[in-house]
Amino acid sequence: MKRNYLLFPLFLGLFVGITCGKRDETRQTKIIGVALLTRGHMFYRDLEEGLLEEAQKHQYELIITSAEFDLGKQIAQVEDFISRKVDAIIVCPVDSKGIGTAVKAANAAGIPVFTADIAAQEGKVVSHIASDNVAGGRLAGEFLAKALGGKGNIAIINHPAVTSVLDRVQGFKEAIAQYPEINIVADVSGQGVRDRSLQVTTDVLQAHPTLNGIFGINDDSALGALDAVQQYKKEGIIIVGYDATPPALDAIRKGTALKADVIQYPKVIGTTTIQKIRDHFAGMPVPPIVPVEVGIVDRQTLHASSEGR
Amino acid sequence: MSISTRLAAEFGIGFAFLLEIGVFALLSPYFFTADNLLNISLQASITAIIAVGMTFVILTGGIDLSVGSLVALAGIVTTSVLKLDIPLVVSFPLAILSGLLVGSASGVMAGLCMTRFRIAPFIVTLALMTIWRGAAFMYTEGRPIWELPEIFGVLGSGRLLGIPVPTHIMLIVFVVAHVVLKYTTFGRHVYAVGGNVEAARVAGIAVDRVYVVVYTISGGLSALSGMLLASRINSGQPNAGLMYELDVIAAVVVGGTSLNGGRGSVVGTFVGAMLIAVLRNGLNLLNIGSYVQQVVVGVVILLAVMVDRWRRAE
Repeated sequence: MKRNYLLFPLFLGLFVGITCGKRDETRQTKIIGVALLTRGHMFYRDLEEGLLEEAQKHQYELIITSAEFDLGKQIAQVEDFISRKVDAIIVCPVDSKGIGTAVKAANAAGIPVFTADIAAQEGKVVSHIASDNVAGGRLAGEFLAKALGGKGNIAIINHPAVTSVLDRVQGFKEAIAQYPEINIVADVSGQGVRDRSLQVTTDVLQAHPTLNGIFGINDDSALGALDAVQQYKKEGIIIVGYDATPPALDAIRKGTALKADVIQYPKVIGTTTIQKIRDHFAGMPVPPIVPVEVGIVDRQTLHASSEGR
Repeated sequence: MSISTRLAAEFGIGFAFLLEIGVFALLSPYFFTADNLLNISLQASITAIIAVGMTFVILTGGIDLSVGSLVALAGIVTTSVLKLDIPLVVSFPLAILSGLLVGSASGVMAGLCMTRFRIAPFIVTLALMTIWRGAAFMYTEGRPIWELPEIFGVLGSGRLLGIPVPTHIMLIVFVVAHVVLKYTTFGRHVYAVGGNVEAARVAGIAVDRVYVVVYTISGGLSALSGMLLASRINSGQPNAGLMYELDVIAAVVVGGTSLNGGRGSVVGTFVGAMLIAVLRNGLNLLNIGSYVQQVVVGVVILLAVMVDRWRRAE
């Protein structure tokens, strides 16, 4: 029975952790419930940072939860916010349609709902604050088309389960459509994570020995593609990523096959979201869609602004 | 029974595997090339190595859901140690060692929870799955660990005699596991415990010890895979290995190991893992969309198990 004592502190630790997490309920400040998609992507860490920074300015209290891509969990989290009678709810939906029931429940309870980054397709949302993903996709497409001299075979490392990604790909395809000599020969899903993206890209490289370009719908997809291109020592392939996370920017600086990245400003999405909630609390009108600007960076722009991230 | 079904039943999964290879070779000119076959072996190696550990576990009638999370955790521990400010000659072996240690320790914990507290394997490993995934995210704050020493890439991306290093490691793991299961006392105990626990206990087998050891093997091999994967993707990612447990269990089951325990082999698991890897690769080569792929993979798993049932009924 000696070994039981080894496990005991672990469970004790867990228990203490859970009880310390409780919040005292006596405050007067506005409370905003935040249901994030994940904390696993840097994008959402930055968005969270923006939320926290701006909330602190207005002394709002944030209750931040993360569903880690689990729709059921996210719905439960929003329901918890409703029963705690928060003053506003911010959701980054796991599934644009699936979150509808939770949004409707919040509507019924009279709690204003805001979506950040990913939109909800059902229920009433006061305002949706997100990067202009169609514009971002278009920037990526134009960069790739120009870099390839207007012709070649390209692949998309996709993750067709979220609207923001669908928008990116739509914008990308719009831009590519202007160049009749560029063919999209493969459109595969790397599920937005680096290990799966590496795997599907190696298959694409096998099937299309003459591939010239790759668009990764986020940086994990683009970096997974870069891993594949480097491991198979393919020359002359140009990769464009999306999100401009530090590892991607580093790869661009080093002159790898990853040549450019669409840069979003997730922190600005966070701060803007809180500003719109403040406007709403103050009784001011808030537009239903608030686009946040995007840009594109390559090696030159990175060198030009070396004081950047 | 017609001749064709009898043939299918006789060779079971091996037959399905050869058929699959034939079909893809006909449909895609890029499939049956040395380059692509090596590519498949490299891609399969990550899940196949974990599937060896899972075979031990399932042979005892258990299940290990924590493997995917351990892939992430071991990758993060290993890469973190590599980033320590100590000479590479020290940090490299230390990194490998601590990665393996984390995986094995999790396995020991799982085994002890089951044998001491009598908690079902499904529950224990389900809990560990979310604990380790959470721990990986907590420790990294959701950010990947990157800028690793270049030499670490050799593990996952290097080649020896033209064959990828992970493929070598996978083959070694399979051979060792096969020998252990077929020719050692411990191997016989694993089958005995899975076949009939009470009989095994009466026969004087230290049943609890067998349980702890199989989960330790599973945890250790998951960690090994986690390190190979971290090397391949040049970073420690908290979201690595998502849902791998399902791929791995599918490989074991398609390979003919019974979820009730006591029946199966690592040879079957090898074929099962390869069958699924070939399927994914082939569908990608044919440019078949990801939605369709999910359905096809599910159907093939069902078909493979049905073929296996016929064989058993005979």
